[in-house]
Amino acid sequence: MANEVEDTLKRIQSHKGVVGIIVVNSEGIPIKTTLDNTTTVQYAGLISSLSDKARSVVRDLDPSNDLTFLRIRSKKHEIMVAPDKEFILIVIQNPTD
Amino acid sequence: MSDRRAEIERKKAKLQALREEKSRIKREKEMKDVEDATTRTLIGAGGDRKELDDMLSSLGVAPLSDVLSSISSANSLTPDQSQNHTPDVSLQPHSLTNNISHAKKRSPQLTVVPVQTTNIPPKEIVSYTKQTQTTTSSHERDAHATDYYVLTYDDGQGEDEESSLPHIGGFGSKLPPGILPHGLPQVKEVQPAITAVEQEQAKQEVKEVRELSEEEKQMIILSEDFQHFIDRAGRIMERALCESIDIYTDYSGGLGEDGMDEKSHQCVSFNRTFFDERWTKNRVVTALDWCPQYPELLLSAYNNNEEAPNDPDGVVLIWNTKFKKTTPEYIFHCQSSVLSTTFARFHPNLILGGTYSGQIVLWDNRVQKRTPIQRTPLSATAHTHPVYCMNVVGTTNAHNLISISTDGRLCSWSLDMLGQPQETLDLHKVQSKPVAVTCLDFPHSDVNNFVVGSEEGAAYSACRHGAKAGVTDVYEGHQGPITGISVNAVQGGIDFSHMFLTSSIDWTIKLWSLKDTKPIYSFEDNGDYVLDVKWSPTNPALFAAVDGSGRLDLWNLNQDTEVPAASIMVEGCPALNKVSWTPSGTHVTVGDNQGKIWVYDVAESFAHPRHDEWNKFLYTTQELRNNQVDEELEKSNFALSNTPLSSMSSIASTSLR
Repeated sequence: MANEVEDTLKRIQSHKGVVGIIVVNSEGIPIKTTLDNTTTVQYAGLISSLSDKARSVVRDLDPSNDLTFLRIRSKKHEIMVAPDKEFILIVIQNPTD
Repeated sequence: MSDRRAEIERKKAKLQALREEKSRIKREKEMKDVEDATTRTLIGAGGDRKELDDMLSSLGVAPLSDVLSSISSANSLTPDQSQNHTPDVSLQPHSLTNNISHAKKRSPQLTVVPVQTTNIPPKEIVSYTKQTQTTTSSHERDAHATDYYVLTYDDGQGEDEESSLPHIGGFGSKLPPGILPHGLPQVKEVQPAITAVEQEQAKQEVKEVRELSEEEKQMIILSEDFQHFIDRAGRIMERALCESIDIYTDYSGGLGEDGMDEKSHQCVSFNRTFFDERWTKNRVVTALDWCPQYPELLLSAYNNNEEAPNDPDGVVLIWNTKFKKTTPEYIFHCQSSVLSTTFARFHPNLILGGTYSGQIVLWDNRVQKRTPIQRTPLSATAHTHPVYCMNVVGTTNAHNLISISTDGRLCSWSLDMLGQPQETLDLHKVQSKPVAVTCLDFPHSDVNNFVVGSEEGAAYSACRHGAKAGVTDVYEGHQGPITGISVNAVQGGIDFSHMFLTSSIDWTIKLWSLKDTKPIYSFEDNGDYVLDVKWSPTNPALFAAVDGSGRLDLWNLNQDTEVPAASIMVEGCPALNKVSWTPSGTHVTVGDNQGKIWVYDVAESFAHPRHDEWNKFLYTTQELRNNQVDEELEKSNFALSNTPLSSMSSIASTSLR
């Protein structure tokens, strides 16, 4: 089963333009990463608090609603965030490639 | 934080000052009233005490903090007297005597009483709370606006009672419980500012950076929750990644590519392929099916891979044609090669497979398992030969899985019970020789009658029930095994469900009618084994056929019956084993012997029939029949004209002698 996790991550990583993948838990602590330590910690902390904020925005607007996906497009990268109850999957890609 | 607290403190102090000033004015003003009252109490004891109480209560008890400050200052000056003049005087009989005995000294005591009466401040408090509420709510980081109110009200009460008591000291403890509630609403409203600050303090304390150890991480990775999450999130992420649409396309910038025009002229154009290095390489595509609930899902079955003996022999994958992701949505496998597969039509989660061993296997995409969750037994009551064809027929409430193995055994199964078939039927030819069934098709919405193709080269029509259950008619015409069979299933003005096509290893495709045991027409344009044939689900006169040389043909019988209307060579010329139309009829998919599935777009004009297409097709088939009759007549004429000649010659020869 752990193999399937690896397979999935490998598949995503092999996509053209994917710079890195980070999986963090609900507290913003990285569990798996393909990036170096400092970048990972930075992304994990910032993105998890951003996704918390985004979720509270969605929920405040409509309490029966929930955040499912978050895409941040910047000049250099695109950060895609798939949040869940316990974990958050973060993929950073270079869309111009 | 500290700024804010300081600000609050400053405001508090200011308010306190304001309040004190006000209270001083009021004290002076009410001094006289109180003096009057005390004189009255001297005259009439009991009734006046009550009056005093009433007065106190009507003025309301001051917020505890206010009371506290004013009282504590009073306490320090004249502790005894202040004690006597708290509202509870009325409830303590012993103090009554005090009151009476110290009648003369009452005037200095009375100055304290107004302290309570001054507590009209509610007004000021209200304005104060409003201010703090707005500021705190705007600064609130985590809690929601609504939560804030709820929380502070609850906490405020508890906190207020606990923290204020020690300050009050002896005085507070003597406060009768009956009076407290009266003043409570005002007291509570002051509190939020304090509690909010405290809450945030608490939050800051909780936040501490913690790093997970390798083992902890491994534990999480191995947990079921995590794997579920990765499965789900990974799938979404892949779809998102494959959407290569650039939302920043600037059309005003450069010239757009024009290749679209060229494409639209083509009847068939390549769209994409489905291939997986691990699971489909070197495997023959043995079956294709479309999900009735989610028309974008394509189900495909694969044969064994001879180069990877350790991998499971049978593989079934579900591909998604909607997203551009190139990996399968689901992967299933089993030990034996899967020769046929189908969605369980009325259960969107179940996938059925017929294997080389004769087992029918069932997968469920809700279960995190790639192996079958159910399989039929390998016994004489079921199949013991390869199952090359199966079909789910019936309605939502009454449907069966029909499977036929190459020994001619037909089994009908209930999906709830795969332990044994509900019915079995052996298909026999005339001399009770079993029919080696290779392909099967049911006319649209028919559950009883069906047609099968066999290895002997004959096609058979058969029925499941009734007095003559089994083979009803034989359609002989092919010289080699039949590889594919398809019944016309287009709904429209005219019913063509008696028309069916067969493809064969003898390089031909034949068009039949159930009413006639001779073929209506034989399409002989191919130069290799024709491995599959399928009618279009939308156009009655259109069908697709694939052959061993890598050629995909689209025949439109209303256009031409001699040559295909469109023909395309698949890249690399692999042998094409299966062909399938999407339910919409706008795409045709082809499975080859290398494990690749090719998706082709079919031009609008082709896929969607015009109104007259049905009548035209009827006319076409009539013409084909007439031609056939003409040909036969010609043949017989030729034979007739031949015999007299020979006899003539024989006569001549004899006469010559």
